[in-house]
Amino acid sequence: MSDVMNDPSGSSETGPSSVPGDTGGGSGVSGSGGGLSLRARVSIAFAAAVLLAVVGVVYILRAPTGSPAIAEPNAADAGTISAGGPRLRMLDNGMVAAVSLGDPRGPRIVTSQRCDRAYAAAGTVACLRPASALGATRLAVLDDDMRERRSIRLTGFPNRLRVSDSGRMIAWTLFVSGDSYAGGEFSTRAGILDTRTGRMASSVEEFAAVVDGRPYRAADVNVWGVTFTRDDNRFYATMATAGHRYLVEGDFAARTLKTVADGVECPSLSPDGTRVAFKAAIDGDPAQGWRLSVLDLAGKKVVATAESRSVDDQAIWLDDRTVAYGLQRSDGVNDVWAVPADGSGGPRLLVPGANSPSVEDPGF
Amino acid sequence: MLRRKAAIATFLAAASVAAGTVVAVLGDATVASAATATFTPVADTYVDNSVTTTNYGTSAQLGVDNSPVKRMFLRFTVSGVTGTVTGAKLRVHTDDVSGAESPSGGTYKAMSNTTWSETGVTWADQPAIDGATLGSVGSVVRNAWYEVDVTSYVKGNGTFSIGVTSSSSDGADFDSRESGSTAPQLVITTGTTSTPTPTPTPTSGDPVLVGAGDIANSGSGDTATAALLDGIPGTVFTAGDDAYDNGSTADFNNYYAPTWGRHKARTRPVAGNHEYNTSGASGYFGYFGSSAGEPGKGYYSYNLGNWHIVALNSNCSSIGGCNAGSAQEQWLRSDLAANTRPCTLAIWHHPRFTSGSNHAPTTSVGPLVQALYDNNAEVIVTGHNHQYERFAPMNPSGQLDNTRGIRHFVVGTGGAGMYNFGTIQPNSEVRNNNTFGVLKFTLHSNSYTWQFVPQSGKTFTDGGTNSCH
Repeated sequence: MSDVMNDPSGSSETGPSSVPGDTGGGSGVSGSGGGLSLRARVSIAFAAAVLLAVVGVVYILRAPTGSPAIAEPNAADAGTISAGGPRLRMLDNGMVAAVSLGDPRGPRIVTSQRCDRAYAAAGTVACLRPASALGATRLAVLDDDMRERRSIRLTGFPNRLRVSDSGRMIAWTLFVSGDSYAGGEFSTRAGILDTRTGRMASSVEEFAAVVDGRPYRAADVNVWGVTFTRDDNRFYATMATAGHRYLVEGDFAARTLKTVADGVECPSLSPDGTRVAFKAAIDGDPAQGWRLSVLDLAGKKVVATAESRSVDDQAIWLDDRTVAYGLQRSDGVNDVWAVPADGSGGPRLLVPGANSPSVEDPGF
Repeated sequence: MLRRKAAIATFLAAASVAAGTVVAVLGDATVASAATATFTPVADTYVDNSVTTTNYGTSAQLGVDNSPVKRMFLRFTVSGVTGTVTGAKLRVHTDDVSGAESPSGGTYKAMSNTTWSETGVTWADQPAIDGATLGSVGSVVRNAWYEVDVTSYVKGNGTFSIGVTSSSSDGADFDSRESGSTAPQLVITTGTTSTPTPTPTPTSGDPVLVGAGDIANSGSGDTATAALLDGIPGTVFTAGDDAYDNGSTADFNNYYAPTWGRHKARTRPVAGNHEYNTSGASGYFGYFGSSAGEPGKGYYSYNLGNWHIVALNSNCSSIGGCNAGSAQEQWLRSDLAANTRPCTLAIWHHPRFTSGSNHAPTTSVGPLVQALYDNNAEVIVTGHNHQYERFAPMNPSGQLDNTRGIRHFVVGTGGAGMYNFGTIQPNSEVRNNNTFGVLKFTLHSNSYTWQFVPQSGKTFTDGGTNSCH
């Protein structure tokens, strides 16, 4: 059962919307919910969410600058967040939050869990805790009730994070030196954890690499942006070395990487396993930004999506036709956008005031 | 509660508008700020009318003179530039030898001949300098960079020849492409719209303090912010990371000197972490001299009208720490105790409070914040994260404090490429990361006005007024 979003004593402190400058709920999570039954706790959570959602919508309708009229949700709408339909997990100014995928701009539950990057799948919520000034980061593995099941100390600044569709495998990317991909010199470290066995590869860079069919070793290898296949063993990632940014196919058990294509960063495997969405450096130069694109793995054909803005994110797939990604406004507020994967259409705002999206219990 | 509701409404309205329009996003800013390409000559040489058949194509030196007559020729091939070229500047560097200096750095003109031979050109067989005048350089000193705006000539990919003459009988000597890092450069900027620099508005007689951090590199952002300073009188501050990548003497000469360096005489700097990439920040202390306070310390103070200005060194590990009881913290407390001015502003590099994603808040400067708070200071200005952020007045713990709180600014907008924001921190009031600019304080007798002045062609701004405590 994965319906309980979080403890009601926590949810009561948090609103349904992101407020710039408001860090959301504090430390009021009691953890147990006292003597209430599960059903009672769920009901309280629903009620709180509905109440807050209505308050929020009232003020939307009063907004002065011609915002479109948004229908006031009824209780059933609000309840869909927790009623078993697919939901979108994301961060709301650094707090783990969720909305219904069917109503992503509707009521929102914000937990008291703080992360720099989060990803949820099948009841596993992975969270990279904010780094200290010295670069100490923690990977927290939470269950669906936001209880911490495991915490692993890592070094570097949080960047990418992924959970396999089964909820079993977790992969992360941290910057260990340099500040960003765009800023010239940097290095990354990508790791993978098997939550079932506890086995961990703390540095995928150490896997045996094969480039264009030949064994390859180099000191400058960086790996980032892992995306898992359905078998919870094979994965895709970016391997950068000697000026190339290869798409590699990896094998966790065999500890191998082999190149598949070049010029592919931050891949994200489609639900049907046939394509990867990725960020393509404009004119091959990351300093010019990235075009969100889709590579057909069989034919190696690349299609640029209709998103013309530079996307520096590891996209997700909402279904086999649609990818979603975060974009930041110039005032630091993030939004999640969606665009067709086949190059048609145009970008649409999916969730305002959110980043680090993932689809939990997608049903595909 | 009312404030919170209003904030929700405004926020969601903005989000709704965003759905139907293309909004400015960081990606755009990154592209714009990064779209600079630097080219070195594919050929350069000079000719001399006293030795009419000699070719100087492989010389490490270039000369312009009127007695004997020397002319120099530069050719650049611009390729791979996409988008609209919004700016092009020629940079030339004088030799580091006695006699390189001159009352005239030459007159720069376009040339129609772009096929002349670097190793064939002589006085007797020279191409015509037959195009439009691009600019002139006034008096030059040895071992320094000079810039000529050649935007009217270099408008995209192609091959461009520039000829240089001088009417001075005291010639100038420049480094040629054979000289390496001081070879001539053609710096092409694309993607940003260039509009005339606004003329300065006259202000009251109150002192002005203006500046930014994270300033000078091989890009063009520092050129844009230095142009703002041209129109703003007063004292200039830096908030550290003044010259990338290492704050070396060469970095200051190559990057800082041609832009912000022209305001050096009125600049009071602080050092950032990049200055300490050079041991002891010796390039920084050497460049700024006594303006940077006592060498090796990097903390000092001065007064402007009714204001006490404190420059501090947040490279704590390089100067024995910033802890309570450290040399700097003890100096700060005694400096503030001795101060008789009613208002105080402090500047250093690493922000105690920031929403930037690249650098977490720096807690090690906490004892400095505490000392300033204990002495009723008004403002703290920092950089390090390449963006603008203004906080409400806060106590040293970061809680809102409208009685004694210090207003914190992060103004890492001096020219280095912009950074993302991460989690937006409590009491953050205004943020922007797509606009280079400078922060201007007008220091009234018992209050202050702040104004973020954006680079030409940009619209983001911020401003306000507060009383002193």
